[in-house]
Amino acid sequence: MKRILIEYEKCDGCKNCSAACMQAHRKTPGTIYDLDLTDPENESRNRILKDADGHYKPLFCRHCDDPECVKSCMSGALHKDPESGHVFYDETRCGSCFMCVMNCPFGVLKPDTVTKTKVIKCDFCADAGGDPSCVKSCPKKAIHVEEV
Amino acid sequence: MNQCYGCNTCQSADKPLEAYIAGLPMETSHHRVESQSTKCAFGLQGVCCRLCSNGPCRITPESPRGICGANADTIVTRNLLRAVASGSGCYIHVVENTALNVRNTARTKGEIKGVNTLNRLAALFGIEEADVHKRAEAVADAVLKDLYLPEYEKMALTEKLAYAPRYDKWKDLGILPGGAKSEVFHGVVKCSTNLNSDPVNMLLDCLKLGISTGIYGLVLTNLLNDVVLGEPEIRLAPVGLRVIDPDYINIMITGHQHSMFTFLQNRLTDDDVKEKAKQAGAKGFKLVGCTCVGQDLQLRGAHYTEIFDGHAGNNYTSEAILATGGIDAVISEFNCTLPGIEPICDQLKIRQICIDNVAKKANAELKEFDFENRPAVTDEIIDEVIAAYQARRGSVPMNLLPDHGNANTLTGVSETSLKQFLGGSWQPLIDLIAAGDIKGVAGVVGCSNLTAGGHDVLTVDLVKELIARDIIVLTAGCSSGGIENCGLMTPEAARYAGPKLRAVCEKLGIPPVLNFGPCLAIGRLEIVATELAEALNVDLPQLPLVLSAAQWLEEQALADGCYGLALGLPLHLGLPPFVTGSKVAVQVLTEDMKTLTGGQVIINSDAKESADILEKIILEKRQGLNI
Amino acid sequence: MKYVIIGAGVAGVEAAKTIRGLDASGEILMISADTHIHSRCMLHKFISGERDEQGLDFTERDFFERYQIGWKKGIRVQKICPDKKELLLDTSETVSYDKLLIASGADSFIPPVGELRKASNVYGLRNLSDAQAIVKEAENAGEVLVIGSGLVGLDAAYGLLELGKKLTIVEMADRILPVQLDAHGAAAYQAAFEEAGVRFVLERKASEAVCEPDGRIHKVILDNGDQIPCDLIIVAAGVRPSLSCLEGSGIACDRGITVDSAMKTSVGDIYAAGDVAGLSGIWPNAADQGRIAGRSMCGVDAAYTDTYAMKNTINFFHLVTLCVGRIREEEGDEIHIKEDRTQYKRMIVRDGKIQGILLQGDISGAGIWQYLIKNQIDISHIKKDVFDISYADFYQTGEKGKYEWSIPVQ
Repeated sequence: MKRILIEYEKCDGCKNCSAACMQAHRKTPGTIYDLDLTDPENESRNRILKDADGHYKPLFCRHCDDPECVKSCMSGALHKDPESGHVFYDETRCGSCFMCVMNCPFGVLKPDTVTKTKVIKCDFCADAGGDPSCVKSCPKKAIHVEEV
Repeated sequence: MNQCYGCNTCQSADKPLEAYIAGLPMETSHHRVESQSTKCAFGLQGVCCRLCSNGPCRITPESPRGICGANADTIVTRNLLRAVASGSGCYIHVVENTALNVRNTARTKGEIKGVNTLNRLAALFGIEEADVHKRAEAVADAVLKDLYLPEYEKMALTEKLAYAPRYDKWKDLGILPGGAKSEVFHGVVKCSTNLNSDPVNMLLDCLKLGISTGIYGLVLTNLLNDVVLGEPEIRLAPVGLRVIDPDYINIMITGHQHSMFTFLQNRLTDDDVKEKAKQAGAKGFKLVGCTCVGQDLQLRGAHYTEIFDGHAGNNYTSEAILATGGIDAVISEFNCTLPGIEPICDQLKIRQICIDNVAKKANAELKEFDFENRPAVTDEIIDEVIAAYQARRGSVPMNLLPDHGNANTLTGVSETSLKQFLGGSWQPLIDLIAAGDIKGVAGVVGCSNLTAGGHDVLTVDLVKELIARDIIVLTAGCSSGGIENCGLMTPEAARYAGPKLRAVCEKLGIPPVLNFGPCLAIGRLEIVATELAEALNVDLPQLPLVLSAAQWLEEQALADGCYGLALGLPLHLGLPPFVTGSKVAVQVLTEDMKTLTGGQVIINSDAKESADILEKIILEKRQGLNI
Repeated sequence: MKYVIIGAGVAGVEAAKTIRGLDASGEILMISADTHIHSRCMLHKFISGERDEQGLDFTERDFFERYQIGWKKGIRVQKICPDKKELLLDTSETVSYDKLLIASGADSFIPPVGELRKASNVYGLRNLSDAQAIVKEAENAGEVLVIGSGLVGLDAAYGLLELGKKLTIVEMADRILPVQLDAHGAAAYQAAFEEAGVRFVLERKASEAVCEPDGRIHKVILDNGDQIPCDLIIVAAGVRPSLSCLEGSGIACDRGITVDSAMKTSVGDIYAAGDVAGLSGIWPNAADQGRIAGRSMCGVDAAYTDTYAMKNTINFFHLVTLCVGRIREEEGDEIHIKEDRTQYKRMIVRDGKIQGILLQGDISGAGIWQYLIKNQIDISHIKKDVFDISYADFYQTGEKGKYEWSIPVQ
């Protein structure tokens, strides 16, 4: 399975990965130039956290081998794809219960900001052939994809 | 492993140049494009603000305002105003120095080579002076007086130089400029921390800066240069790296201030100087053109064929020019003098001398141009260059590219030389346009960059698309340098044009792309446009004329762009000028501008699509004129 | 090997999947009273009409074919005979087994108040069949009484509001959702439901309910004498494990079927998982128990270790709440509260460890709290506002890029 590996010491919190993720998942077609950065509907699946010393700790979905989110899903919306190994989220099946949010031990998942009816979940940019946009956009090359 | 510095250089429209650069053993800007290709999304949109210590702030959905409360519209337009003010400042610096040089030349009874131009200006300004030197001094004084006015006093020459309907429009919009230097000052102050936050107000200031940039920085600089350096004359000239002749002591010049080289270019052909060169083992001296000042030398080359070798290339060709090993010194006075040439000059023992203190390079000697002491300083420079020639030749390898470029690019085109060529009036051109033999005119101007497809890629592709649609192209700026090196400015290039334009070109013996020279010559294009509009009794927006700064590079280009918009012209850009993060800025620049000035910004990085859009606009304008 | 599973809830489904993953050829048979696989957490969406039966199915579309699982649906098990390793079904059919999993879930508990247990218009909300009946009954019902304002009671109300029903909810405690939320957190939902037209009667219980000649209860009398007219009554007063089929089997039970950590019952080759085991009443735990039971049934070592069950998410009217751990304050607790116009957060810390947290409004990234609470991780060393604590404070990347927990040694 391909996973995004993180060298967190290289992260300087520029958030280009978050911008790229928003661009990859935007509703209306367009380029990075016209991505509406003020629209709360645009959400990144990754997040840059800070520890108590202000060091940046990038939070990216692990697509876990034994995913707590899948195990807690009561609607069948989350499942681990047997081929790619990635955990996919089907918005149409989701029951908006957010038990997955409660069970991810790393706090990767969140309800969507605007409607609170769906979950913001990394899909490893499956629509783009499994080539994550965040990885391509990191100027420090702090994240890269590896077969694990 | 071979000696190539790196494997991944960016593409160039100039394929021989691309191959040459790829094979170089030293790093150039072309090598650095890839590792810088991951761009910050916030920077691209212009929504990053570093104006205060609470920053840098970025606009994101979770934080749609900076800490101070500035929203995307404020941040973007503030950034834009800062850039346009800076760019305007650059041009005003150039016209100021040029006017000072004219005045000094006049006061010391130096040669006034462009008397016709002087008389045109004197007539326009209402200056009556029998003595040519007094006349020149008065003209220069009038320009300087305007430049030094405070912001609250409108510049007097604007009305005399601008096309009347345009002047009235600007007056209505309240964007007539005060003193040009003060306007730059005003722009810089306005966009500082927690001052102005009105996006439309700042965008209007950008237009105002565009007007002062265009009328003074562009139009007047050309004409003042003509006064002391001679008017452009049409001729065929060689271009490209082939112009570098290793038998001579070669000096590459960069910048925008041709008038600073007046003395040098004459001195270098004096017998005693030529003798010094021969003593050192060379046949003499040659100036090799690069960047806009090189285009200026090329433009007026008819007046000094002995000293000028030719224009070797534009800003992003400068490193290759140096890499040939045939350049012994670089004399620079402005941009684009890439910081990246410094290690190359070090490595190849090329002497770097800067003659304007705004353009001091890190490892160069500053020998400020000093009008009074120019003989002594010039002789010092000459001696240093000879010393460099002697030190480096033989120990530094040659890597010439003698077949690069071509031998017969048409140059020397100006608003007067072209009119003369057509028989003394614009009517033949108007007739051709009315008949549809020339569908319209496109000014493909401005810089060269490395990111819109590659070095000159979008520019050259766009030019090919336009001429294929029978649209004649006029160029000014580093775009000229790229286009001419690709062979589109030779008479033979007519074959790339559409059938109608091709017929016109072949009949007249001209290429379908006419080189007006440096970016300053955008001012000359404005004069042509104005005279055409006057003849047709219409305002500029009604002409079948479009502008493209396809691969605009720097802040001056943005100031030029604002001039184009103030003139009411459609302005195409390949890449957005870091404004798309503001809905207001995009709306004003691309839509509302049409009702404000008649102009509009069109952003498109695809040559064919852009040509389609520009052609459509030309056809609409034609319809409006019933042709 | 023949595996038989009683029940087609998440415990049974997960067990079946797990068994198939470990035993490619064994026969797996599921027997359920349910005629459709359905998520019991979404019954309110069926009642409201938002989803149909198919929409409640939480399994893959071709679940039974893909995993080669047989299914006898709409059938109850009457008796389990461990000595013959046979089941007697209510169709009189006998089914043999090698390994048996009892995952028959739980039934609604109707308290013995008045004639609630006799009336024909009183329902629990536990199964799809309940929801289907409620929808049918609701067609002609104007006023609905819900007894109990826990998650099930409010789910029922939420669904019925969509059908335009007039609702009254009676609750014994002094606030709604008394198990999950504190007064402040509950108040927000109470206000939302009231704005939607629901009437709450708190600190009261039903004391009398008499059937009319038509066999239906048309009014319920509370313990203070107040009368609540009703056409339809939904009782959401808890559930009891479904132990009826165990009679005479010798399988040990107390509240639910007694199991060890491998989900084995007191009788050999018989396992139990899910609500019927009475260990916890929440979905993720039932799923986990099902998987553990499946592994055990295949002879693989497995232990149900993460038994943590004090965790809930609530989502009504786009107001989301997450509550993990203890919400009731005790002497010596450190209480942290943060509140603004969009959120309410309350945390109980004791001896440097989080005991409970309630987040209302924004629950982004709130999964870490469960980890910190259930593992009683010391947070006293983190120099941050407690609510700013995140995985960043325990961040560690390990083998294959997995996230690990960097916990300082005390």
